[in-house]
Amino acid sequence: MNEELDSQLSAMFDDELAPGECELLARRLSRDEQLKARWGRYAVIGAAIRSERGVRLNPPLAGRVSAVILDEPALATAHTARRSGVRWWQPLAGAAVAVGVALVSVLWLRAQAPLAGAPLSAHLTAPLATATVPGAAVVPAAAAGAPDSYVVPRAPAVRAVVPSTELANYVVAHSVFSSPVTRRNLLSAFMSSESGAAAEQPPDEPEGNAQ
Amino acid sequence: MSADASDLSLVRRVQRGDKGAFDALVLKYQHKLVKLVMRYVRNPAEAEDIAQEAFIKAYRALPQFRGDSAFYTWLYRIAINTAKNAVVSRDRSPIEYDLDRNNEESYDMQGRLKDSETPEGLVLTDEIRSTVNAAIDALPEDLRTAIVLRELEGLSYEEIAAAMACPVGTVRSRIFRAREAIDHRLREVFEGGLGRAEELG
Repeated sequence: MNEELDSQLSAMFDDELAPGECELLARRLSRDEQLKARWGRYAVIGAAIRSERGVRLNPPLAGRVSAVILDEPALATAHTARRSGVRWWQPLAGAAVAVGVALVSVLWLRAQAPLAGAPLSAHLTAPLATATVPGAAVVPAAAAGAPDSYVVPRAPAVRAVVPSTELANYVVAHSVFSSPVTRRNLLSAFMSSESGAAAEQPPDEPEGNAQ
Repeated sequence: MSADASDLSLVRRVQRGDKGAFDALVLKYQHKLVKLVMRYVRNPAEAEDIAQEAFIKAYRALPQFRGDSAFYTWLYRIAINTAKNAVVSRDRSPIEYDLDRNNEESYDMQGRLKDSETPEGLVLTDEIRSTVNAAIDALPEDLRTAIVLRELEGLSYEEIAAAMACPVGTVRSRIFRAREAIDHRLREVFEGGLGRAEELG
């Protein structure tokens, strides 16, 4: 017998084998009677070393349990039978559902189209852009016949109400709670924005969140 | 390395319908389970019957086992409940009251006499035990220490490695080599024992 396999078996017996290896060895162990017998002897060795008093080292227990279980249905039998019964039509059902969904979509789009012959993307993008993003600008197609358009969110420009010196003091005072890298980045970003341009701040973010 | 991965991989196989994997679990835990049950019943044969019942109950309940606890913890709970129920039903049985439970020696002896063990079975158990002990004595010191720390003290490979000041891989190898050496002698006993049992049978 393969020595590496036996070494793995010994480690598996002690729950010291990696789960992935356990999976593979468990499969082999359940089928290989020779390996199972060795596994059983490892248990006997352990019981003998522990001198388990009154416990027979060669009980017919395993054989008796195995005989009883042999007459029982396998635990996954019913489940497997159900699965194998439906397996043949599963791909057909999947394909049928996909075709159905595609057909309904096409019919619905045709019914919704206000102008025959208009590009489909025009129907799809224009109402969506105006309806969902109030502060967004719709960029018209650069050239006639361009199929797609996209939306650029408009960044609201709001002048900061905090004077720059005050902001600098605030940043420095709170920088003790931040990491050195963050602190340096913040300070350098702040200093670079000191060149006169008005500092911009997201309108929804309270001043207290700044570090 | 995860604890109980070995049992869990076998349990998952059983849950998928592989009965052979359950044999491995029975082989691994049968001695421990009988020993556990013998805290409740003193008759070894009765303890084996209860352990058998516990294993069968466990098999039937395995679809409900989710692996939240270790398999052996779950199995031990089933065995303890089965043993308690057996004790209750035995105590209600008038036949069992014939035993002189005040005299421990007598009770033990009757248990022995009731035992379905054959004489060759008892001899074989003693022979196995002495063979294993002799094989352990013959082992080199490092192998003996490793296998004893594992089987007697129940230490993990990592703990044994720390105790023996060697890598975990060396511990694994030492335990394997120790088992191989003992198993080599044990196989002869099993083959001889089975042969003798057939002669007597």
